[in-house]
Amino acid sequence: VVGLVNRDVGTSIQDALDEGDRPEAPDLTLPVLLAADGIGPRGAEVSLQELRGRTVVLNFWASWCEPCEREAPVLDRVASRYRSADDVVVLGVDVQDLRGNALEFAEEFGIRYPSLRDGGDDAYRDYQLTGLPETFVIDPEGRIALRKIGEIREPEEITTAVEQL
Amino acid sequence: VTRRPGTAIRSALALALLLLVALPALAGAVTVNEVAREVRCPTCNTPLDVSSAPVAQDMKQYIAERIDRGWDKERIIDGLVAEFGEGVLATPAKSGFDLIAWLVPGLLILIAVGGISALAWHWSRRRPASDGPPPPPPTADESQRLDDELRRLG
Repeated sequence: VVGLVNRDVGTSIQDALDEGDRPEAPDLTLPVLLAADGIGPRGAEVSLQELRGRTVVLNFWASWCEPCEREAPVLDRVASRYRSADDVVVLGVDVQDLRGNALEFAEEFGIRYPSLRDGGDDAYRDYQLTGLPETFVIDPEGRIALRKIGEIREPEEITTAVEQL
Repeated sequence: VTRRPGTAIRSALALALLLLVALPALAGAVTVNEVAREVRCPTCNTPLDVSSAPVAQDMKQYIAERIDRGWDKERIIDGLVAEFGEGVLATPAKSGFDLIAWLVPGLLILIAVGGISALAWHWSRRRPASDGPPPPPPTADESQRLDDELRRLG
């Protein structure tokens, strides 16, 4: 019972990163909310497994999250920087959110990068999120190279890690 | 007595307003809280009616808008399940894997009642620990003494 309740004990993403490891990124298979940059169409299911070989900047967000409003334009700048390169993709994951509100948010804050949607808790739990927003840089082998808890204020917080891969 | 036209208009307006307020209740219209207590807030896992999390506010607005459109409680809850999955329900669904959550407590109660009954029956049939082998029958001398005592006592 203890093992089931504490199933993350010993497999903490943060513990592994703190020790200098790159833990394997949990796979996600979710429907596309915002189609862009070759990911789509809306409603199609996309998995991280399909993106192996590319660096993925995975950003968890929700329309009710105030820091996400400030962060969206910063992430859009990151996405613009890599748009012409095929080896990096910025991918949002809208969680714990109403679909209509998420679409309005994307329009209001000019999100031009693709986003998936998880209405349930699976992605939130698998990535051991502590709140929103959170961003992960996943290397081409599908391992987590960087975890950023909270708002990204400058593109360099992400681009530096991406370019070190 | 002649009533002024203004008074009649005011009375009609008041009646219309009263009907406007009372009709939804008469028609059995659902309230936001009635729906909200059937689902949970995804970020804080508390019933939606007692949650003030940002997503809970959005969900309550979603419910209010659907009530205004004339949706009934089941349809609104189905809509929330479509948005957030079965996990949004405050109580597990009575089908599929979630049915276990309803069956297990009943089964445990049945097992407990059965177990207690079996133990009670077992204990009621068990002889006290102090019981030994049955006493030997009285000897002829003891029988004679017993008869004498009984006779003496009358």
